[in-house]
Amino acid sequence: MSKSKATSIERLKEFINEYRRYKIGIAGLILLFFLVFLAVFAPVLAPREKYDNWYNLAYWKENPSGVPPVWVNLFSSQKLPPHKIISIDSSEAEFTESGGTYKYTTNVTYNFKYDVPPNDIIIRILGKTYEGRNVSLSLKIIRPDGYEIKLYSSSTVFPEEYDGRPCKTIVFSKNREIGRNIIKWASQFENETNLRTISGRPEVGRWTIYALFSKAEAGILVGKAPMLRGEYSLVISATFYSDADEFYGIKVIIAGATFGLAGTDIYGRDLFAGIVWGARLALIIGILTSVVSTFIGVFYGVASGYAGGLTDEFMQRIYEIVASIPLLPILLILSWKFGATIWNLALIMTLFYWVGPVKTVRSMALQIKEQTYVEAAKAVGVPTRRIIMKYVANQVIPYAFAVMALSVPGAILTEAGISFLLGGRGVREPTWGKILHDAHAAAATMKGMWWWVLLPGVMICIAGLAFIMIGNALDRILNPTLRR
Amino acid sequence: MGYGKYVLFRLVNLFIILGLVTLLTCAIFESAMTQMVRAQIDEQVRADVMNYVKQQQSKGYVPTQEEIREFEQSRRELYERRYGLDKPPLIRILYRVRDVMTLNLGQSVSEQISYAGSREVKTIILGYLPNTILLFTTGSIVTMLVGLFIGFQIARRVGSVLDRFTSIFAMVTYSLPMWWTGLLFIFLFAFQIRIFPAGGMHTLPPPTGLLGYVDLLWHLALPLITYVFVNFGGVAYVTRQLIIGTLQEDFVMAARAKGIPERKVLYGHVLKAASPAIVTMTTLSIVNSLSGAIITEAVFNWPGMGRLYWIAIEANDMAIIIGLTYVLTVIWLIALIFIDLVYGILDPRVKVGISGGR
Repeated sequence: MSKSKATSIERLKEFINEYRRYKIGIAGLILLFFLVFLAVFAPVLAPREKYDNWYNLAYWKENPSGVPPVWVNLFSSQKLPPHKIISIDSSEAEFTESGGTYKYTTNVTYNFKYDVPPNDIIIRILGKTYEGRNVSLSLKIIRPDGYEIKLYSSSTVFPEEYDGRPCKTIVFSKNREIGRNIIKWASQFENETNLRTISGRPEVGRWTIYALFSKAEAGILVGKAPMLRGEYSLVISATFYSDADEFYGIKVIIAGATFGLAGTDIYGRDLFAGIVWGARLALIIGILTSVVSTFIGVFYGVASGYAGGLTDEFMQRIYEIVASIPLLPILLILSWKFGATIWNLALIMTLFYWVGPVKTVRSMALQIKEQTYVEAAKAVGVPTRRIIMKYVANQVIPYAFAVMALSVPGAILTEAGISFLLGGRGVREPTWGKILHDAHAAAATMKGMWWWVLLPGVMICIAGLAFIMIGNALDRILNPTLRR
Repeated sequence: MGYGKYVLFRLVNLFIILGLVTLLTCAIFESAMTQMVRAQIDEQVRADVMNYVKQQQSKGYVPTQEEIREFEQSRRELYERRYGLDKPPLIRILYRVRDVMTLNLGQSVSEQISYAGSREVKTIILGYLPNTILLFTTGSIVTMLVGLFIGFQIARRVGSVLDRFTSIFAMVTYSLPMWWTGLLFIFLFAFQIRIFPAGGMHTLPPPTGLLGYVDLLWHLALPLITYVFVNFGGVAYVTRQLIIGTLQEDFVMAARAKGIPERKVLYGHVLKAASPAIVTMTTLSIVNSLSGAIITEAVFNWPGMGRLYWIAIEANDMAIIIGLTYVLTVIWLIALIFIDLVYGILDPRVKVGISGGR
């Protein structure tokens, strides 16, 4: 026993040494490590909350919709601002009390150093007034060139709810008062012709934000003036009229023109989270399907070949029928009906994927059965089970590993294709295929949102390639006839 | 086994598989289909009752509530009998299997899916099918030609740059989903460099005459390029492997030893011995690309079965899905049998199904 153990360790060492010689196998392992890293550290790289809320579109409302990843700045001469959220707690606000008024003032600074203004600025003021009375809010901005613009001043209630607390939301590009104030201020620098072009334009929209971040010179209102870089401060104040009122804090969202490592889709979903969590889903589907189905297939093949006779004939007929079933239409209807989760889908795929190794394994078993040493073992009275374990398994198991690796890409690609077609009717989890379904359904290619299409697809390729490369190296080591 | 017996054996297998797949499909969609049929019956009965009342009134007779209810009941029972709703579910499934296998596929559920004004599932699928065949056969032919040519070339230059490049290329394209490649190509060649249309089969309105064909080719180009790009590497690689395998055989060495020129060895001896395997392996890889090609149609809005799948899934149209499953299975099995039979002719030694490979 101890002797055989020693040899098996030696054989493993020999195998590892040989594996190292195949560059392709090493490259495959590197890709696999990358995927496993993403899959294991998914909760660290992107919070689980994002994964859980993938289809809860309200969760993503604050994100800019359909913006590219931040690293596009590396490839473009135009620097785009990233997404930024600044939260200020009530304790950080400056508090003054005079004659029954309670005033909280906060000063938010934003260092702007880009070639394009932010998509938008959204301010949420969180608070509660006694019996729903009014609160006075005012808003001004101090630009790097010293101009101070009063943007907003109004007496209001907290009409919305945010994070379970009453809230008032001010969206710069949609607020008429802010738009009017910006235009009024900017008009003093503008020349006659430009003023004529803008007359009659609605006082809302992104063009007002352009003016806010442009240099104070002619062209400011038509997007011709250069950007004014530097530190902008937003001064937000809330005045309450009762000591029963409460102020919780302020959240300023500077909606960027870029977002995260993989951009966002049109719903504002952080695609990086989808890609990272998708790695976990793809690996689960691919590995589970291939391991289970290879096991079944190998056992089936060995049993069929070893049993021989009518049993073999019968098992081969069954095998042939399953092997001839067209995968796409069958998997489509089965996963439509039963594929609510990736676990179900993996199980469904296993029903058809086990046929992969049957034929080769059966012929291996047939060959080994005829060997003289097996005949000898039989003659001596070694039980069948042990013969199979000792002689057949020895040859079949290395082959099984190669099959396992080589059938992972098929499972991952099939899952992606089915999820792509089925979309919302397929698995519940946001797999790469489903992200691509959403991209196609939203005409992402037409809208030029390449990151939405490119990145999930590249991940599918990486996953497939990793296992093909590993399987290829294994195959070459274990099937010496293929060596060339 | 004689050839005739062999063909018969394959055909029997085909019908068993076809029956099983149809049974599975019908069983899965049993409850949904029954619901759908009930809704259709309700509609029908309502229309019949209206007609009945109108007819009686034109004869100058106003039917009583009792009579109307009686008529309605009798019509409903008639339809339920006709659609087998009075039978237990198992029998109902078997009826449906019979219907599907005789292409009696019923009506599409959603209003927006139709072909030439007809909502008959059979008409719709038969309308979309030729477009799939057009794209798939042209794609297969071009892929075969390119793949075989490159495969021969690299088999003669093992270890060359072209050889290594093709092997890596084949590996990469094997892990490329065809439909995703289509999305990328649309982005690149239809929206960035605008040289091909983004999808569809004709410009609207479709030009007539010779221009119509040019227009069709122009629309066909990008899906075709996608198809060939993803598949030819695999065909080339398989061809290379098989030729190299044959080159190692003893008879090749013997031929070389006899002093037969290398060209003759390659095109005479090697090709002759390797061609059955090459034909089967490459056709098999082509048949296996059918799924990918079907999904790719959805990407290109190519009005074939893949596009039909996409809209039927969006519209939750079970009748279409069942029909598509059936038709696709038939096509798939015919393709498999075709390969088997060709293999049987090319290599008379082997009269066993090779449909096992995927």
